[in-house]
Amino acid sequence: MEIKNEYLSGLMERVIARDPEQKEYHQAVSEVLYSLAPVVEVRPELIKEGVMDCLVEPERLVKFRVPWEDDNGNFHVNRGYRVQFNSAIGPYKGGLRFHPSVTESIIKFLGFEQTFKNSLTGLPIGGGKGGADFNPKGKSDAEVMRFCQSFMNELFKYIGADTDVPAGDIGVGAREIGYLFGQYKRLRNEFTGVLTGKGLAYGGSLARTEATGYGLCYFADNLLRDAGKSFDGATVLISGSGNVALYACQKAQSMGAKVVAMSDSNGYVYDPDGINFELMRQLKEKERKRISAYAELQPAASYHEGCRGIWTIPCDIALPCATQNEIDLESARTLLKNGCYAVCEGSNMSSTADAIEALQGSGILFAPSKACNAGGVAVSALEMSQNSMRFSWTFEEVDNHLKQIMNDLYKNVVNSAEQYGMAGNLVAGANIAGFLKVADSMLAYGLV
Amino acid sequence: MNQYAERVLSRLTERYFNETEYLQSVRARLEMIDPALDDPRYEKLDLLTRMVEPERMVSFLVPWTDDQGVAHTNHGWRVQFSSAIGPYKGGLRFHPDVNASVVKFLGFEQTYKNALTGLPIGGASGGADFDPRGKSDHEIMRFCQSFMTALYRYIGADTDVPAGDIGVGTREIGYLYGQYKRICGRAESSALTGKGLTYGGSKIRQEAAGAGAVYFLDRMLEHQGDTIKGKRIAVSGFGNMAWGVCKKASALGAKVVTVSGPDGYILDEDGVGTPEKLAFLAELRASGADKIASYAERFPEAEFFAGKKPWEQSVDVAMPCATQNEIDVTDAVHLLAGGVKYYVEAANMPATAEALKLLRLSPKILTAGSKAAGSGGVAVSALEMAQNSIRYSWSRKEVDEKLHAIMSGIYDASAAAAERYGLGYDLIAGNDIAAFLKISEAMIAQGL
Repeated sequence: MEIKNEYLSGLMERVIARDPEQKEYHQAVSEVLYSLAPVVEVRPELIKEGVMDCLVEPERLVKFRVPWEDDNGNFHVNRGYRVQFNSAIGPYKGGLRFHPSVTESIIKFLGFEQTFKNSLTGLPIGGGKGGADFNPKGKSDAEVMRFCQSFMNELFKYIGADTDVPAGDIGVGAREIGYLFGQYKRLRNEFTGVLTGKGLAYGGSLARTEATGYGLCYFADNLLRDAGKSFDGATVLISGSGNVALYACQKAQSMGAKVVAMSDSNGYVYDPDGINFELMRQLKEKERKRISAYAELQPAASYHEGCRGIWTIPCDIALPCATQNEIDLESARTLLKNGCYAVCEGSNMSSTADAIEALQGSGILFAPSKACNAGGVAVSALEMSQNSMRFSWTFEEVDNHLKQIMNDLYKNVVNSAEQYGMAGNLVAGANIAGFLKVADSMLAYGLV
Repeated sequence: MNQYAERVLSRLTERYFNETEYLQSVRARLEMIDPALDDPRYEKLDLLTRMVEPERMVSFLVPWTDDQGVAHTNHGWRVQFSSAIGPYKGGLRFHPDVNASVVKFLGFEQTYKNALTGLPIGGASGGADFDPRGKSDHEIMRFCQSFMTALYRYIGADTDVPAGDIGVGTREIGYLYGQYKRICGRAESSALTGKGLTYGGSKIRQEAAGAGAVYFLDRMLEHQGDTIKGKRIAVSGFGNMAWGVCKKASALGAKVVTVSGPDGYILDEDGVGTPEKLAFLAELRASGADKIASYAERFPEAEFFAGKKPWEQSVDVAMPCATQNEIDVTDAVHLLAGGVKYYVEAANMPATAEALKLLRLSPKILTAGSKAAGSGGVAVSALEMAQNSIRYSWSRKEVDEKLHAIMSGIYDASAAAAERYGLGYDLIAGNDIAAFLKISEAMIAQGL
């Protein structure tokens, strides 16, 4: 991917020269700079005033030692990170990842992307990310608790409701957030919205579980209606059966769609009568069964091994909600051949680069995850709002805010694409819209 | 009693053998929540010990000079009982009887009461062995300033938010807040509640406990397939709480037929509900003349009963709003003989233990305790914090709607917990159990 702007390609070279080993970070920066080339052509002041140079360097990065003791009394030392990437439009905000693959490069790449994603929500949250090369798999509750406490003993110096608000990510779920919050509260002797993803009993938000799936459908609904289409009566495929997929299914059905297939990592079920949502939720959320169990209980449904096969079912709308790169070029071609007219990504980076090219090239509606699945982080920000005002909204109130956020986000993405001569290209629209809000704020502050 | 609970209680008794009120309240609570203690995690995490003992407790000296220039030294306390679900929150009591045992007892009870409001407030209490009676305004001011000079370092909007209690009303809160603001150098209004309307107080606050109790009663009637319309209600007292009951009950179509004072009670078959009568009660309260007989002089349709209590009247509903232990066994017998069907406590602990037992165990009436039905006061305190946090004031209607929703939520949680643990419609036990479950869930999530 060649960056079509001389200054930006020079900047890219400097980024690589400064941290030559940070491959993941280079990739993320180069993708963003590539999509921004048309913007800086029109807005040269962004280069002149130093915005582009500042954008690719995190405001701050802390690395720290995390010593902890296992249940047998052996000591371990992990490495923790927090990158406070950009505070132009709000306190740093982004998840913590506990996974052996975590490095400085990964954290920087995630923090960089988070900055633009958060900007798109329209809410006052900057970009951050953090974590540790700790593997929670196979650890006892007590070990995880001690690790979280040790991690927070260092992290608490750098975070706060007005400074930096971490959330969960891979390896950091409700359990870890609880332990982290407990230790923060003990160290500071204050009860604030310093972390999101908290349990409902101690400051969490309603509708957080549903947020990404609902948000995806709200976005898709806007997109469809602008094209003279609708969920009503449409045949829909949804891959996956986790939170995103389940609640996308519920919302799409409530808008009149017929969801005929869902999947898990083993295979998919096809139910020509339309998925029985309550049964599916019971099986996946409560009983933690494989998706094949659905076909055993629902007579009209059939189970098929191999999850890729789901895209061979003829449909009007495809909502990939399982994992990254789940739609490859072949799946994209099959969808197109079968008359699919809209693909909206619920999972992060659902489609491979060549699949996106094929889908966009054919002229069907395509919306990238960066825009479509912003509902999750949006409700995180709404959790912060509720904590700040010391009051909880009802499910309906949170849902209404989410809907409004997704409607606004859609308009913003469409308008940005149009404004820079790429009408209908929502991938470009999302990159540009997220960037512009950050960049304009940075311009306003001067060189700081 | 559960064996683990038994061990916790006996250790506590050994350690705090002279703290009668505190031990009594812990015992009562542990007995009430016994049906819910059957979970091995509680002992493994030693949850009960951590729940029945305060997280932190400070005691301090409060030196002050009287108007003659003579120095006095009182003792002040703040018990920060539980921050599991929000910043510590609870009243300050200025009364000669205040000691470590009393503030611990109050802080423990407050933790339970606050938990079910659904708002993010933990539990606390505090105060001093100071007697405000007979003191001049200036002496009160100097005492409050000295008290706050000691207290300020432990409180704050995100840490601990005191309110009024016996001996601490709007005047004291004003002096305390003034000093807090001066020492801290910032107008952190949500560091105290019960403030005057001109400097951050909430509308409805004065009548909140009474109005909330009527909302609670309304839900009990609905559960019985009955309606509040046309119900005859006996109320004791004529202060804020009684006033709140009269006002809300008449708005919902019921009739409050009695109010009382230290000199006796009045019976008004037309109902204490017209704007004129409500205004008269407010004037009477403001005048400081503790004579309810004047009501019958002003409104000739009412009859005055000197030296008697209203519980001898035959009514549908009894709502004590005056003081603690005002209903003894004789009064309870009177109420039962008069065919009362609902007993709803707005005031704190209005019945003696024996009287309450008699009422609770009678199959003919339904009872609701002050911890549930009387929590409208603290609920609006938390709404005052919310308004301070968003730097905005809600209208009477907005606060009233939120109060209504909160009381309904407390009712639902209490009724559901009672049913789940096989206690039928025992709202008192249900309330304690629901609160216990919420606090314990938050504690477990946050680790040791």
